[in-house]
Amino acid sequence: MSVVDHTKELSVVEGKPALRSLDDLISKPLETKPDKKFFIALSITLSMMGLFVIGLGLTFWYGVGMWGNNNPVGWAFDIVNFVFWVGIGHAGTLISAILFLFRQKWRTGIARFAEGMTIFAVMTALLFPLIHVGRPWLDGWLMPYPNQHGLWVNFTSPLLWDVFAVSTYFIVSLIFWYVGLIPDFATLRERTSTKIKKAVYSTFSLGWRFSNRHWQHYEMVYLILAGFATPLVLSVHTIVSFDFAVSILPGWHTTIFPPYFVAGAVFSGFAMVQNVLIFVRKIFNYEHIITLDTLEKMNKIMLVTGSMVGYAYAMEFFIAWYSGVQPEQFTFLNRAFGPYAWAYWIMVSCNVITPQLFWFKKIRRSIPIMFVVAVFVNVGMWFERFVIVVTSLSRDYLPSSWAYYTPTYVDFMILIGSFGFFFTWILLFTKALPVVSIAEVKAVVDDAQPSHKGH
Amino acid sequence: MNDNRNSNDMKKDFWKSIKDYNDDPEVLEVKANEFMEGVTDDFDESKLSGISRRKFIALLSASTAFAATACTDYRDKGEIVPYNKRPEEILTGKANYYASTCTGCSQSCGILVKTREGRPIKIDGNPDHPINNGKTCAKGQASILNLYDPERLKYPMIQGRRSDWKNVDQEIISQLNDSKKLNKEISIVTGTLVSPAMKKLFDDFTSQYPNTKVYQIGLVSDQIRREAWLESYGSYDYPAIKFEEATIILSLDSDFLGNEGSFIENMQKYTKKREVIDKVSFNRLYVAEGRMSVTGAMADYRISISPDLQYQFVLMLMGELIKSGSAINLSNDILSKINSVSGDLKIDKTKVAHLLKDLNSNRGKSIIYAGDTLSNDVHVAVNLLNEILGNTTLYDYSSSFKSLMHYAKAEELSQLVDSMNNDKVGVVIHLDSNPVFTLPADFGYESALKKVTATISLTEAVNETSTLCKYALPINNQLESWGDANYRSSVYSLQQPVIAPIFDTRQKEAVMLTWISGEPSTYKDDVYHKYLMSYFNNSAYSKRNRLSDEKSFWYSALHDGVISYEEEIQRSSFRLNSFINTKQDFQSNGYTVHLTESYFVGDGRFANNGWLHEVPHPINKITWDNYASISPALAKELNVEMNDLIEISSEGKTLTLPVLVQPGMADKTINIELGYGRTVVGDVGNNVGFNAIGLMTKNYSSSPFVNNNVSISKVNGKHKLVSTQEHHSLDDTFVKDFHRIRKIIQEGTVEEYNNDPHFLHHEKHEVFGITREHKYTGVKWAMSIDLNKCTSCTACITSCNVENNIPVVGKDQVERGREMHWMRLDRYYSGTPEDPIISNQPMLCQHCDNAPCENVCPVNATNHSPDGLNQMAYNRCVGTRYCSNNCPYKVRRYNFFDFRDHFEDEYYQNNLTALINNPEVTVRSRGVMEKCTFCVQRIMEARSDAIAEGRELKGADVVTACQQACPTNAIVFGDANDPESRISKLRKHNLAYHVLEELNIKPNVTYIAKLRNTHPEEN
Repeated sequence: MSVVDHTKELSVVEGKPALRSLDDLISKPLETKPDKKFFIALSITLSMMGLFVIGLGLTFWYGVGMWGNNNPVGWAFDIVNFVFWVGIGHAGTLISAILFLFRQKWRTGIARFAEGMTIFAVMTALLFPLIHVGRPWLDGWLMPYPNQHGLWVNFTSPLLWDVFAVSTYFIVSLIFWYVGLIPDFATLRERTSTKIKKAVYSTFSLGWRFSNRHWQHYEMVYLILAGFATPLVLSVHTIVSFDFAVSILPGWHTTIFPPYFVAGAVFSGFAMVQNVLIFVRKIFNYEHIITLDTLEKMNKIMLVTGSMVGYAYAMEFFIAWYSGVQPEQFTFLNRAFGPYAWAYWIMVSCNVITPQLFWFKKIRRSIPIMFVVAVFVNVGMWFERFVIVVTSLSRDYLPSSWAYYTPTYVDFMILIGSFGFFFTWILLFTKALPVVSIAEVKAVVDDAQPSHKGH
Repeated sequence: MNDNRNSNDMKKDFWKSIKDYNDDPEVLEVKANEFMEGVTDDFDESKLSGISRRKFIALLSASTAFAATACTDYRDKGEIVPYNKRPEEILTGKANYYASTCTGCSQSCGILVKTREGRPIKIDGNPDHPINNGKTCAKGQASILNLYDPERLKYPMIQGRRSDWKNVDQEIISQLNDSKKLNKEISIVTGTLVSPAMKKLFDDFTSQYPNTKVYQIGLVSDQIRREAWLESYGSYDYPAIKFEEATIILSLDSDFLGNEGSFIENMQKYTKKREVIDKVSFNRLYVAEGRMSVTGAMADYRISISPDLQYQFVLMLMGELIKSGSAINLSNDILSKINSVSGDLKIDKTKVAHLLKDLNSNRGKSIIYAGDTLSNDVHVAVNLLNEILGNTTLYDYSSSFKSLMHYAKAEELSQLVDSMNNDKVGVVIHLDSNPVFTLPADFGYESALKKVTATISLTEAVNETSTLCKYALPINNQLESWGDANYRSSVYSLQQPVIAPIFDTRQKEAVMLTWISGEPSTYKDDVYHKYLMSYFNNSAYSKRNRLSDEKSFWYSALHDGVISYEEEIQRSSFRLNSFINTKQDFQSNGYTVHLTESYFVGDGRFANNGWLHEVPHPINKITWDNYASISPALAKELNVEMNDLIEISSEGKTLTLPVLVQPGMADKTINIELGYGRTVVGDVGNNVGFNAIGLMTKNYSSSPFVNNNVSISKVNGKHKLVSTQEHHSLDDTFVKDFHRIRKIIQEGTVEEYNNDPHFLHHEKHEVFGITREHKYTGVKWAMSIDLNKCTSCTACITSCNVENNIPVVGKDQVERGREMHWMRLDRYYSGTPEDPIISNQPMLCQHCDNAPCENVCPVNATNHSPDGLNQMAYNRCVGTRYCSNNCPYKVRRYNFFDFRDHFEDEYYQNNLTALINNPEVTVRSRGVMEKCTFCVQRIMEARSDAIAEGRELKGADVVTACQQACPTNAIVFGDANDPESRISKLRKHNLAYHVLEELNIKPNVTYIAKLRNTHPEEN
């Protein structure tokens, strides 16, 4: 085994490829016709999306009653999916903004894709608050707008904060993503020969000419946006957690929720990004850009956040016991040993136990195993939201109103459909935009920056 | 033109006239005044109408808009039918009330029907009625739905084909005359006869057709009680019990507080000794029963005992009690008979010791009351026991249960069937009765009926009998009918129609009158009205020596709905021989099936009423079904649990039905409710539940309702029973006694309270808020519910359903937990599965001051009114369900579907049923949250009345629907800020508490803790 020189930063891009070859490699999917595999993949995701459309059609035609929600479980798959997808949308901005501020160069290979996933995940997530209401045609009422009735929204409702938090997050993430794309659009503009593409790329590249001055401004804007997006990464899931924490329901009414939700969101977001990137680097031959080292670093983050989540689970139990409040204590015992114990133990084994495997370097660096672990993490994180939302509601203060919740086929259609919706966007993204930031990657290739021979 | 010229000397270029040209002063003057003389004379601003130009334009545009919309085709849709000429007695928007009599069961409660614009929308008790005192049961409340049932029989039918009344009458009259000629029997099968005018009509019918026989039948009736009373005292009429004076009550499988006899009256009398307002001196209720009844749930001591052991139990008590003497002389025969019974009853010894002690020390002030379904022998023995204890002082002969005729005995009915089979019956008339369903199958009634040529069924809707009859004739609903009732001595009540017949139906009495006359054309709409009036003048008028003339008396009686007069049935001494003839039940060592009356569908007559199917059972909260209730021990023995099917067989008859494990059942007793399993009824009631009449027989040994010759076995399969409350196993320590731990139910004993009235609040913590309290000045609405008085009879729920347009959601939706009732009756078990203690709690929106639902609504659809109501703005509701999630009481109800559209393929969404809706309450659409409003429409009505009368609104002006219906007045509503009001005093009561007080959400429904009257040494 070779000795690693820890005083030196590892190469972010392996093999010191020629800068020109990076241009070629990254823009290749955009310049070639989609192959058969792409269409097969697209037809699968579109079929899943078809289920989404049918499920929503049934819901809109007949009512929310098509779902399994009942009294007392007013929220179930709808809000579980919402929180799940918002959580998935956490990795992107964290990678591109927070890691950028921390000067983590390894982020460059994955930032673009992760940001794309953020955008799509938040889009998917945003659908759920809109469709979960009983009268979706009145969704506009959640927006404060002046009207002749003098009606105003209720600013004390966390659901309203949600609307603002998630839409702000979406808009800022989208702008951040777009700003990062500008130099790449210019690169693509230079490369393409078709008129339409040229027009499109020219428009979106906003007249970028790779001038020094452009770069200076760009770096500054990017830095500012990164600074702007950083608190949002933390705030959006904090506010999502307020949906629960601000209520008086045992199991929801918990002060640990904001950090716990953010950690969980980063956890699930990284798992999803890791899952998807494993395919992307293989299919597009980006193994040297999205390196095993990068994947390993992501796994380490999963290990950290997974342990934080595990700590939160334990702390919830402790505080429930420590509070001396019987309904609170029961809620947690009921999670672990009540009728939804199966969901709870799926959650614990997927979220707490499985990521502990990442203590082992071999596992951290084994692509098949890390893939499976991350899949488990995503399953576990979905169940975490299920456990929080459904078990707390199904058995609250008055035993007389307790009821078991069972989802219907429409619930599953919408759940599967949401994945279809998300992955359709991902697929279209891979053929429409550079999935790796050309400009940024080129900047982190060994010897790409002027240096003074190690001084 | 010359600019310099001056107007005086220069002539104009343009002029209108010569005068103008010459500058005539007249013209100049006119020109000086802009307007013609006189035009502006009365231009006095103050005299003008206040309409500004802006307002005028607004009115103009509004009227244009109105004119435009008015010209659309709304009239053609038939949705709005304005009064062209307003009927004198109707004021649009104001309800009219009419007194009448309920015909839902034989008790004949007085009712007050609320009508709006001519359509009945609510039934409540008639406050002037001396028996039910302004209250009705759940069945009475919901029976209004039967009027608007789209499946009512709409026209007369001959052999299933539409016909007309003239034709039908013609044919039937000739059939009747044929029978008369051929000397064949004309059989009339009727339900319990309570109408004296009807009785006279039967007499008239019999004199026209002398070979007429009338059979009175009832599925579950007081027939056994009456027959036993006849044996013991020689009278078919028996006195009411003065429950209000009894200090010790022992109920033997009698649900006298639940659904037996005059239970509304009994509840009121019983709770007179459950008042906690002043000094607490309670009665003590012992219940010995095999099932778990509403009365059993109310008991201070409940003894589980199989119904076939009741005779032995009574004799055992008797044997112990005669040791300290007897109020009547007992011969040696009797004494030896009493002592002849022995054997271990395997019942709780301590409880029996308490019972004996109490009965002994309360002679003359206690009562033993046997249930309608127990055998004749038990009743006779109970009559003797009451005599021995001198409890006959509690018999109220001035308020007896009268009988206009006897119930047909099994032998008489067998004879009828024989005659039908042997072609000795020419005509069978079913008068609002359904013997094919209600008679045990071994009578062979159904097959016999097919042998009779002229079979007639007078019925409101198709039933098992009417489909087999040649003539199915539609009769008026009770709200379309005239009638009278004299079921109780001293009380004569009248029934009047409040709406013209909706379909081509006729009053059943009028149909009979037409047949008596022998000429179809004699029928007139008011034929029975006149008949009743003349009967009334001849009988009722004479009962009260009135100073008024007949007509005024009739109108005043009609207005009041009831008249009282002095009447007492004769009393006689106990016939000891009747007791000598009694015998012990046939003893089996196996299982005992106990069939009892349903709380909601009656004898099956309410089987097409969705509201009644959906009201949760008072004890086990099951909806839309009946089942075999078995004890946890029996369930273990059979290895079954809830929803598993068992097969019960008895003498070749079998019944397969699902199991419900009911804590507190006697070990080997199986309780099944009757009236379910109708097969010919309508879309709502078809095949709901299981028909347990199949287990009854005409050759019963002691009581038709107690069958101890059965065997049970588990069979494969399941039938899902749906309930509105989860069934937790009582001994599951995981969730045991949560209602006590969480202080949802707070209880004590009479002893505890008398020693320390403040005992409930010793452990109370002060709860602090960090926000500024909102001050309520003026009226603040609040409610209190006295748990000492609540029997969980569900009248409140049903009344709320009717008042607030609550939809029926159906079994599938109840299974999903989506019932829409704004109120629920929570039931909690404590104790052991063998001997559970039951606590009831009506739960509804608590209208919290710090309502947690309000701050989470993103669109402010739920908010607080200045008078303390938690309000819902349906129009604004988007349907996020967040409010419901954050409600700790989970009393909010969500319209998961448009339930009117969703239930049974739009069953209740038709032009007819829509008429039932209370026009003051919005019909909610799908996707909208709703909940109890404290009947805000009634508050608003009271407020506008107060404003119109120029006085302040008093809390007592408002009566909520649940409060109005509550038979025991457990619910009190009013102004918490009025220190004189009942509610404000109850809020300060020593036993008052709020549920989940520690959340500091400040609920406004106060519960008065239940006190149990147990023996002091037990505490």
